[in-house]
Amino acid sequence: MSRVATLYRELRPWLRLLGRRRGRLALGALLMAITAFAGIGLLALSGWFITATALTGMLLAAGVSASLDVYVPGGGIRFFALTRTVARYLERLYNHDTVLRLLADLRGGMFRVLSGLDGQALSRRRASEWLNRLTADIDTLDSLYLRLLAPPLVALVAIAAVSLLIGIFLPAAGAVAALLLLSLWGLLTIGQARLGMAASQRRVASLERLRSGSIEHVQGLAELSGYGSLAAHREALGQHERRLYDDQRLLGRRAAVGNALVGVGIGVTLLAVLWLASLAYARGALSGPLLVMMPLALLAMGETLALLPSAFTQLGATRAAARRLNALGAAQGAIRDPLQPAALESTTPSLEFDAVSLRYPGALTAALDDVSLRLEPGQRLALLGASGAGKSSLAQLATRLLDPQQGQVRLADVALPTLSIESVRGCVGLLTQQGELLDDSLAANLRLGASQASDSQLWQVLALVELDGWAQQAQGLETRVGEGGRQLSGGQARRLCLARLLLAEPRIVILDEPFAGLDAALAERLAVRLSDWLVGRSLLMLCHQREGQPLAALGVHDSYLLSNGRAIEKRDGER
Amino acid sequence: MAQGGASPETLTPRRWLQRLAAQQRRLIGLSVGAGLAVGLATIVQMALLAGWISALLVHGVAPQELLWWGLALVLVLALRAGAQWAQEVTGLEASLRIRQAARAELVTHIEALGPVRLGGLHSAAIGGQLVEQVEALDGYFARFLPQLRLAVAIPAIIAALVVWLDWLAALFLLLAAPMIPVFMALVGIGAERLNRRQFAAVSRLAGHFLDRVRGITTLQLFNRAEQASDEVHAAADHYRRLSMRTLRLAFLSSAVLEFFAAVAIAVLAIYIGFGLLGYINYGPSPQLTLFSGLLILLLAPEFFQPLRTLSQHYHDRAAALGAADALVNLLNTPLPEAGSVNRVGETPAAVSLQQAGVSFLGRGRVLGPLDLEIAPGECVALVGPSGAGKSTLLQLIAGFVDSDSGEVTRAAGEIAWMDQRPLLIHGSLADNLRLAAPAASDDEIQLALQRAGLGELLSALPAGIDTALGERGVGLSGGQAQRLALARVFLSRAQLLLLDEPTASLDEETEAFVVEALQALTEEGRTLVVATHHPALMAMADRVIRLEQGRRVDEVGS
Repeated sequence: MSRVATLYRELRPWLRLLGRRRGRLALGALLMAITAFAGIGLLALSGWFITATALTGMLLAAGVSASLDVYVPGGGIRFFALTRTVARYLERLYNHDTVLRLLADLRGGMFRVLSGLDGQALSRRRASEWLNRLTADIDTLDSLYLRLLAPPLVALVAIAAVSLLIGIFLPAAGAVAALLLLSLWGLLTIGQARLGMAASQRRVASLERLRSGSIEHVQGLAELSGYGSLAAHREALGQHERRLYDDQRLLGRRAAVGNALVGVGIGVTLLAVLWLASLAYARGALSGPLLVMMPLALLAMGETLALLPSAFTQLGATRAAARRLNALGAAQGAIRDPLQPAALESTTPSLEFDAVSLRYPGALTAALDDVSLRLEPGQRLALLGASGAGKSSLAQLATRLLDPQQGQVRLADVALPTLSIESVRGCVGLLTQQGELLDDSLAANLRLGASQASDSQLWQVLALVELDGWAQQAQGLETRVGEGGRQLSGGQARRLCLARLLLAEPRIVILDEPFAGLDAALAERLAVRLSDWLVGRSLLMLCHQREGQPLAALGVHDSYLLSNGRAIEKRDGER
Repeated sequence: MAQGGASPETLTPRRWLQRLAAQQRRLIGLSVGAGLAVGLATIVQMALLAGWISALLVHGVAPQELLWWGLALVLVLALRAGAQWAQEVTGLEASLRIRQAARAELVTHIEALGPVRLGGLHSAAIGGQLVEQVEALDGYFARFLPQLRLAVAIPAIIAALVVWLDWLAALFLLLAAPMIPVFMALVGIGAERLNRRQFAAVSRLAGHFLDRVRGITTLQLFNRAEQASDEVHAAADHYRRLSMRTLRLAFLSSAVLEFFAAVAIAVLAIYIGFGLLGYINYGPSPQLTLFSGLLILLLAPEFFQPLRTLSQHYHDRAAALGAADALVNLLNTPLPEAGSVNRVGETPAAVSLQQAGVSFLGRGRVLGPLDLEIAPGECVALVGPSGAGKSTLLQLIAGFVDSDSGEVTRAAGEIAWMDQRPLLIHGSLADNLRLAAPAASDDEIQLALQRAGLGELLSALPAGIDTALGERGVGLSGGQAQRLALARVFLSRAQLLLLDEPTASLDEETEAFVVEALQALTEEGRTLVVATHHPALMAMADRVIRLEQGRRVDEVGS
């Protein structure tokens, strides 16, 4: 019982999400039920009709006067035939629409969860494989209703209806049918789910292992073939594949058992009902046409039950997807707003890191270890260090993408967690190294910085980073930047990100390798213009080394060195 | 297995799928056979049912005497269940084996191509293809192919039986028979169009979502995350409205199939009923009995069922064709010709190049013609501006690219390859090192890690060399990863070391350490060829070779 409770707890958030579309789900299930009933009715009524006509025909042939109303059953048969077709069409259309609505809900909701995560939780998940898994998980869950909720429900209703139909004329047979079909239903749902649970939960993980192994194999071709270990690694890859396929084989065979069980279960029920009905007929307690109607109604049940085995054998996959997404939502380190945020003045504040330490989960060494640094209002500082020294981590701390495990970050001597996240990020602007662009127009990307900015303001900042000429030659502000800014060169993308940051008008600016990929002359010109713009603001510039950086043009005189996330030492300014 | 490059014609997706299916013809045939058995068992089951009812109602047989019929029915049910299970299991087995073979063929081809000839293809994307797109072949072999045959055979058997029972009734079914190819085409066209549009729209939508997730930090920094959540919802909803428009039409084709199936049952029921009443005096109608009438009615849905099943599996075909399209593209990337000029062995020098050169399609000659002899134990630095051909020269020596002239020879044995992005595999530190020497003992591994400057880190790890690295080496910094690659070199027996900018993007401390370590390696007598900008590495070299636009411009001994 507790296992069922766990399963329910894992699926509850998603069931609740479905609950918001309760009306649509009910109507969709109703359409499914109508389709099922029309199918059952068509076959049952046809059987009744043929038998009735046969028996009447025999009487007529024997010269006994008999009559049969052929028009009502004939009309009924035509009605069921049409209803089944129309209901099936509408059901598919309507339920597809519902599923797509659910998909929109799921994606929107999941994105909201993700956007509440901190940089740590996100950075571990930036890999594209993780994104694939995320979308796959969401897609798995959007089938929750259509595969796992509606079909068993409709099957139950159909079982009740058919048993009732039989039971009206022959209560014992109705009871037997209900008993047998309900046990079959239990086997096909709960039984199949138990048979497949372990393997189907494993399946996604084994698929993941095979994927990462394959990527390693392709990316490591040079090293693997050099060391002559290609065959060994391929053997490991083969093992992942075998493990995955063993599970797939197991699941496929067990689902096949379920599918075969549908036929056996219905056949056994049919036989039992037919036997009881035959005895009743022999007693004269049941008419011939009604006797025929019963097994035919049961035969038509097959279609409704056939959907269950494969869906429920894979229940574990849905469960595993739900569990992963739940874990994401409950991830530690979600950055939260204070209940009563302190106010931040509009003048440029000081920024201070006070003995901050930071360690990423799973990392072998700390990213930052007792680091202190103070940026006075209006000061322009360079922070030097190799990649991995911890510069970017400091920048993330200042914008509350991360919170330190020890120490404090303060703006105007107020600890960041007591300020609203919005005000912190409005005050401190960060140009990250990746410089993410959205697959949208130039204007839309720029307006992320300032949604109200006019076209002329956009052109102004474009001119500042010398992208105006290029934009004019392209489709102006409507130029698409492509996926991840792929239509732009690295340098152009960098400058566009810079322009976007300028539009946002932050009081404190943190630039992480702003001139990477730009030629020296262009970097120098940009630095001069930036220097003017920086008047009244503070600057923290993060870069690999002093050489080749237009620090003088930027008005940066002081620099500090950060190494291995530890000591910060002052380097002599070159005045 | 395809001997890559051996087939004179280029492979098309269809032909590749056919060839894969041919490998498991027996299992697919078994699946079809079992499917036929299911169909036949169903027919017998229906006949027994109709016979029972007819015996009871028409001939007045007592129920107790029908027990034998019941026994036969149980037997048929068991047979049918067994055959159905066998049909699914053999189909699945065929699909598993075919996917395994397809993946093996692809991996073999990729290995033969080597790291450089894969060229513009993104390695992570190829790795993904090896999983997703090969898996996408599943439904086509497991279900669609067997069902394609069953969808012809089973209706034909049922039609023949009904002709024997009552040819006029069969006419109603057979009126639909010429429609069957039309159905299939309709279903096919509908599904195909649906699939193509859906595929495009789905990938656009997924792209939008991925794009926003990738850019989530930026959205957070500009306080736009909330707004973006609404946009994600809106984009999905927009996609819904678009796709519903196509679905309305696409579902019609299968609705037509449903309609014919339902109407055929209705028409048959009414025809049989009127026939049994004696209202129809034409043709075989007067001979209709309850048995034949009931059997025809029971068989009518079974006549259409295989077609309906086929239409459900149609998307499997589209998915497989889509996947095969991309995979065949990879298989059609030409392999180097056999007997290429790169030779291993037969040289007293460690590396010997005579008039060797490399050209890339669209870029022309990027290297050479070049003469170069490197003696065993020598340390050679390759310098020059980026794009001068340093990396290409290293790749040529390693055999990852082919010389289009002259000769390239290198001494037999392993090569240690190191560039800026060391390979990190999912596993422990020890697993990562054993890539270079599978038989290495724990002590040797510890020593190698210490020589690479990871001793301090190692002593801080409670699990030591069994510490697990996450996916893609999560947990290691860039400098630590590079040291790990260095430890691999120390551990290996490779005599020839090819290093492509090994110190780029390292901090000063690690950089200095790597230089020292390389020095130690030359002292061991290993041959080093290193492409670099770093003055310390150049100073260490016995010879510095400057390349410009693929040609040697000068040589500085030291």
